[in-house]
Amino acid sequence: MGLLDILRGKLTDPTAYPGVHGKGDIITTTVDAVVKWGRKSSIWPMPFGTACCAIEFMALTASHYDVARFGAEVLRFSPRQADLMFVAGTIVEKEAPVLKTIYDQMPEPKWVISMGVCASSGGFYRSYHVMQGIDEIIPVDVYVPGCPPSPEALIAAVMKIQERITKGEQAKRPQGEHRLGAPGDGAIDRRARRAEWAKEDAERAKQGLPPRGVVPIPLRVVASEPGTDNKHHG
Amino acid sequence: MASATETPPAPAEATSPVARVLKEALGAQVLKVEDFRGDLAVTVSPAAWVRAATLLKTHPELDFKLFLDLCAVDHLDDEDRRERFEVVLHVYSVSGKHHARLKVPLPEADPKLPTLCGVYRGANWFEREAWDLYGVVFDGHPNLTRILTHHHFVGHPMRKDYPTAQRHVLPEPLTWLLKVPEGSAHLVVNIGPSHPAMHGTFRVQALMDGETIKDAAAEIGYMHRNFEKMAEVRTYWQIIPYTDRLNYCSSFMNGHGWALAVEKLLGIHAPPRAEAIRVILSEFSRIMDHFVAIGTNVVDLGAITPFFYLFRVREEIYELLDACCGARLTVSYVRIGGLAQDVPADFADRCRRLIESVRKYTGETDRLLTRNTIFARRFKDVGAMSGEEALDWGWVGPCLRGSGVAYDIRKDHPYSGYEQYDFDVPVGTVGDSYDRYLVRLEEIKQSLRIIEQAVAKLPAGPIIVDDKKVALPPKEQVYSNIEALMNHFKLVYEGILAPPGEVYGYTEAANGELGYYIVSDGRKYPRRVKVRPPSFNIYQPYPEMIKGGLLADAVAIIGGLNIIAGELDR
Repeated sequence: MGLLDILRGKLTDPTAYPGVHGKGDIITTTVDAVVKWGRKSSIWPMPFGTACCAIEFMALTASHYDVARFGAEVLRFSPRQADLMFVAGTIVEKEAPVLKTIYDQMPEPKWVISMGVCASSGGFYRSYHVMQGIDEIIPVDVYVPGCPPSPEALIAAVMKIQERITKGEQAKRPQGEHRLGAPGDGAIDRRARRAEWAKEDAERAKQGLPPRGVVPIPLRVVASEPGTDNKHHG
Repeated sequence: MASATETPPAPAEATSPVARVLKEALGAQVLKVEDFRGDLAVTVSPAAWVRAATLLKTHPELDFKLFLDLCAVDHLDDEDRRERFEVVLHVYSVSGKHHARLKVPLPEADPKLPTLCGVYRGANWFEREAWDLYGVVFDGHPNLTRILTHHHFVGHPMRKDYPTAQRHVLPEPLTWLLKVPEGSAHLVVNIGPSHPAMHGTFRVQALMDGETIKDAAAEIGYMHRNFEKMAEVRTYWQIIPYTDRLNYCSSFMNGHGWALAVEKLLGIHAPPRAEAIRVILSEFSRIMDHFVAIGTNVVDLGAITPFFYLFRVREEIYELLDACCGARLTVSYVRIGGLAQDVPADFADRCRRLIESVRKYTGETDRLLTRNTIFARRFKDVGAMSGEEALDWGWVGPCLRGSGVAYDIRKDHPYSGYEQYDFDVPVGTVGDSYDRYLVRLEEIKQSLRIIEQAVAKLPAGPIIVDDKKVALPPKEQVYSNIEALMNHFKLVYEGILAPPGEVYGYTEAANGELGYYIVSDGRKYPRRVKVRPPSFNIYQPYPEMIKGGLLADAVAIIGGLNIIAGELDR
C-alpha cells in the first residue's frame, strides 16, 4: 500500500488531509501534513525500562501484539535516535537525574508515554526513595494506568500519540511541576531542584549553549565544487 | 517448609551440632539459643561475632559454606530488649543440609561490628546495605559506602524512627565508580543504568585496555523501591502484591514463597489442592523466567529470532494465569493459607495443552541455540565460576547448579508436596555461561515433568485453610450472614495476627533460594521483613568475573546470570 492509497483514505480519515480530489487521483496537500503523516507512521520509541512494566513492554514488541503494525517497532536504545520515550517502570530518586538527562538528549519533536502507575504517580510505593510521578521533572504526553498496563492499553497509548502528532500537540512542561511531592510522612518539595536546573539552563543559554545533556551538532554545509552547476538532483 | 512440617522430637538446641560446637568453643559468649518453628538461632556477643562465623564455615562438623544473608533489625519499640539493633546472619550447609542463624545484639549509641568480609566474600554488599539502611558500622570493611540509596541521602531510612516518605533529592549521579590513576591513558567505559546491554537498571564502569577490561566496578540501587520499608507498614496480606514485583519475570513464585513463610510463622498448612496448584503455577513461572533469561540474553548477543520464539510461550502461559486470576504478569493469586479462588474447570486441559506447546518451543530453542556455533563460541568458557567460590559469594539456583553444586530446595527441603514428584536436578561441569544456559534449558524440561505429574493427580477439595483467623469467609456468606460479615470486617481491618517470633522461609524460586526472614512482634504489621534476594548475591561478583575478559564477554555474562532489578534492589 503506497502513500497515495493511504492519503485516499483507505487507512485513515480522508478529512484529516484536506485536498483529496477526484477520487483521490489528485491530491493537494501541505508539506506539514505529509511530514506529520510521516512522523506518526514511523515512531521510533526509546524504551526507558526499569521494572515490571518493561516485561510487558517486551510483550508489546514481541510477535503476539506486534507493535510493528503501528510503525513503531524500531526500538532505539539511544535517545539521540528516538522521538518517543516509553518510561516503563518505577523511577527512584537515584534514577531521576538519569531520566532527565536522557529526556534532554532526545531531539525535538519528542513525546513521552508514562507507562504504569509507578511512572505516573509512584504507585503503591509511597516511600523514601521513589519518585512520585515522572511528570515532576519531565513532560508527559500520555499516561497509561495499570500495574502493569496490558499491551492493549499500550497500543491505545501509541495510537493516542499518533493522534497528537497529527494534531501537532506536544507536552512542553512537566505537568506535576507545581506539585509539592507526594503526601505522606516527610514528603519533600522538589521545587528546589527544578529551580536549580532552570538556573543552570539559563546560565548555559546566556553563554549560547543548549540545555545540559544536549550536544549541539553543527550542520555542515558542503559547498559545490567550483565549475559544476550543482546538478545533483537532476 | 520441610522444617515446619516435621516437628522435631527434641528441641534443636539440644540435638543440633551448631549450638553444641559454638557453646564448646565460645562458652559464655553464646548468649542465647532459640528454636522457633524448627529454625535454630544462636545469639552471640559482638566480641565473638567473627569467631562464631568462622567456626560455622570451617568447623568440619558444621560446614556452613553457603553464605545466604546478612541483615540488620531495628527493635526500637521493644521494651524487653536492652539493645536496639541486631545483626542477623543466615548460612547454609550443603553437606549437612541445614540452615543456621547467627545473631548479635548491638547498642543504639554505637552500633559497631567487625566485618565478615574475611570469612564470607559475599558479606561485602550485605554489610554495605546494613550500613546504608540501618547505620551499623562494620570495622575493617573495604568500602563501606551507600549501596541502595544515593550519595546525597541523609540518614538511615530503615530505622524505625525514619519517616517512611522522607525523600532526598539527588542532583547529579555519581560520575566515577572507579579510581582511575592520574594521567592514565586507558579508556573508561560507562555501561548503564540505561543501556541496551544491561536489561534492567544496573550500572557498570569498566577501565579498558584495548578490548580487555582491566578494572570494573558496579553500582546498584537504581530500582530501590523500598519493599522492606513498605512491608513494615502493611499487613501480611497487603504484602502479597509487593512480593509479585520482586522478581517480576516469575511473579507467582515470590508470592508462593511469601505465603509459605507466613504459614510457617503461623504454623498452618495450605490444603493439598492449593499446594498442587501452587506447584503447577510455580513451575510454569519458572519456565517463563528461564525463557525470558535465555531470550533476552541472546538479544544482547544480537540474535533477535529466539526472543520472538520464546515470547510466544510466555504469551501462552500468561493466558493460563489470566484464566486463573485475571492478571497476566503480577498475579497476586496466592493467599496466606491457600489461594484466592479456585482454578477454572478446564484447568487440567489447559495445562496439558500448554505442556505440549512449551515442549515444542523448547525443542525449537534447543535446535536454534544449543549447537549454534556463534552462540556456543560466545558462551563457552566465559564467566566461569567454581563451585567453592560460588558458595562463598552466596550463589544459588541455576547459577550455583551450573557451577556443579546440586543444591535444589525442591529436592533437599521439599515444600508444597515436591517430595511426591519425580524429577532430576541438572548440574554443570565447567560453571561458565554455557553451563548456566544448559542448566536452565534442562530445568524447563524437568519442570514440565513435575507439572505433568501434578496435573495427573490434582486433588479435589478446598483451596484455602478453614481458619477464621487467617482466611476470609466465602463471599456469598459475607453478603448473607452477619457473622461472616463481622469476620470479614475484623480480618480485613485487623489483619492476620501472627505470634511473636522469627522465621526464615525459603523456596526455590527461578533464580534460586528466595528467602523471607520475618520478625513478628505479634502485631498486625511485621516488625521486619528481609528478603534474601538471589540476584543480589549473584550480581555481587560480576565486576570480578569480567576483569581480564573482553568487553563483549561482559555482555554475554550478565544475561546468563539473569539479574532482575526488582529483586536486586528491592
